[in-house]
Amino acid sequence: MGNLPAQLSFPPGTELVFGPQAARRTRIDAELARVIHGWGFDEIILPGFDTAESFDGADGLYTLVDREGSRLVLRADFTMMAAKALAIELRRANRPIRATYEGRVYRFRPGGHGHRVEQTQRGLEWLNARGPVYDAACILIARECLRAVGIEQPVIVVGHAGFVNAVLGDRGRAERRLLEALDHKNPSRIRVVAERVGLDADSVRLLETLPLLTGGPEVIKTPRAFALNRAASAALDELAAIGALLADCGANDVLFDLGEVRRFDYYSGAMFKIYARGVGDELGGGGRYDRLYDRFGLDVPAVGLGFDIARMAEAAPRDFGGNGPGVAVRADAPGALATVLAHRAQGHNVTLGEGT
Amino acid sequence: MLRMALPTGRVLKEAQRLLAAAGLSPAEDLSATRRLTVPSRCGRVEYLLVKPVDAPLYVEQGVADCGISGKDTLMELSPDLLEPLDLGFARCRLVVAGKPELERKGDNLLSPVRIASKYPRVATNYFRKKGVPATVFKLSGSVEIGAVLGLSHYIVDIVETGATLRENGLVVIEEIAACSARLVVNRAAYYARLEEIRELMQHLANATGATP
Repeated sequence: MGNLPAQLSFPPGTELVFGPQAARRTRIDAELARVIHGWGFDEIILPGFDTAESFDGADGLYTLVDREGSRLVLRADFTMMAAKALAIELRRANRPIRATYEGRVYRFRPGGHGHRVEQTQRGLEWLNARGPVYDAACILIARECLRAVGIEQPVIVVGHAGFVNAVLGDRGRAERRLLEALDHKNPSRIRVVAERVGLDADSVRLLETLPLLTGGPEVIKTPRAFALNRAASAALDELAAIGALLADCGANDVLFDLGEVRRFDYYSGAMFKIYARGVGDELGGGGRYDRLYDRFGLDVPAVGLGFDIARMAEAAPRDFGGNGPGVAVRADAPGALATVLAHRAQGHNVTLGEGT
Repeated sequence: MLRMALPTGRVLKEAQRLLAAAGLSPAEDLSATRRLTVPSRCGRVEYLLVKPVDAPLYVEQGVADCGISGKDTLMELSPDLLEPLDLGFARCRLVVAGKPELERKGDNLLSPVRIASKYPRVATNYFRKKGVPATVFKLSGSVEIGAVLGLSHYIVDIVETGATLRENGLVVIEEIAACSARLVVNRAAYYARLEEIRELMQHLANATGATP
């Protein structure tokens, strides 16, 4: 077989899946949808692209220009787009909304590391969801979803955007290198940068400790030994409340990570990410964003959750999903279509074709 | 068992010494073996021998749970990894070097400087941040020749003692970063195998005298 002609290739990072792998992904999405619908969520279908302002601040947007010269952007994030869509609804009546979506998002990531620019996600938006009970519920939905696709021993890691922000203060938050060092859990680098930024000694010591504050609910207590401002203490109280609610439901396997900083800017409270053994990156995540609707003049406490379907497919057991074997019916056999219909009526899979 | 990516070459000998001091000696001499994976004697770790420039990729993709990598390589590749421990060995500096008479700091800023480097990304970012237009050539070895023979004005490379630069009549013009070997950890593995990773970090920290 010769080389493929150039017109038979897609740009790097795009998704192309066919056959059993695609069937598996469809099944995974169906299972996630079943669980999420079961928690009372309604399906929402969102536009594939939008005006550029809707994703302000995001990196790696794919832009296009329409015939009138308007700059448009391919959907880069569901939560931001859903916020706009649901704000229209909420302006009519500010009420609780439970919405779930499925589809692709597009963000450019530098190539060479097997990064994907196109991702299929299934997620949910829970609006007017005030208080830790909703944070805990989101995590319980995530656990049920993971169980539904047979992912054994997933790891759910809970952090808090408000905690890190409160400890960093305005000056620390503005320093990108400090956030990077926190994100890499690199204590020596955290100290160097935090001192350079001029944070007080107590904050530097706490920041330097954060990479170690990953583990069971006990890690929530450790920072109490430091002088904390009110926002930081309140964040720890929230995490403790979520931890207690989860523990009451027997969800004792959740980890806490107080040094977690890698989330979109819109997260304001508890946030979580989901991992599984053997898959090198996140399967999904979520959290609380109480200030996201401010831009639409609305006060809407909200939580959300999203799964990356391709990573879920990597993590799911090998035998999950896929079409069962079909009964082969020869297209040239007498009464072929009647035979096929008879099998279909009994719910069998059928393959109509030339071979046997 | 944790799988750990180890870079072959310059760093391996010292890495092996550190692992021995940490009670994690490999079952056979890693510099002599022809195998690609070697377990530790204690059975807690499996070492995966890879090219230095590939080590971060194996860890980022989760093929290895953790690994050892030079800061210079990490700066060049900027992989999405945790970097919880400075192992303190294989110290060197990433520098801009060139012929002393060609030092052109500040002058004629609009004509691009030509840079030869094994670290094209580091070099590009460094000059961009300084607002100096630069054309960067990626070389795979003997970068010094680039500056000596006039392929480039400057080179961006790692320097340990500076002997190679001196022998070629080059001087350090600016330091970009101080580098050393780092423990890197895959994000998912960090959480999924928290206890094992913590234990490993503790052993390595004790052996280096650092605090984890």
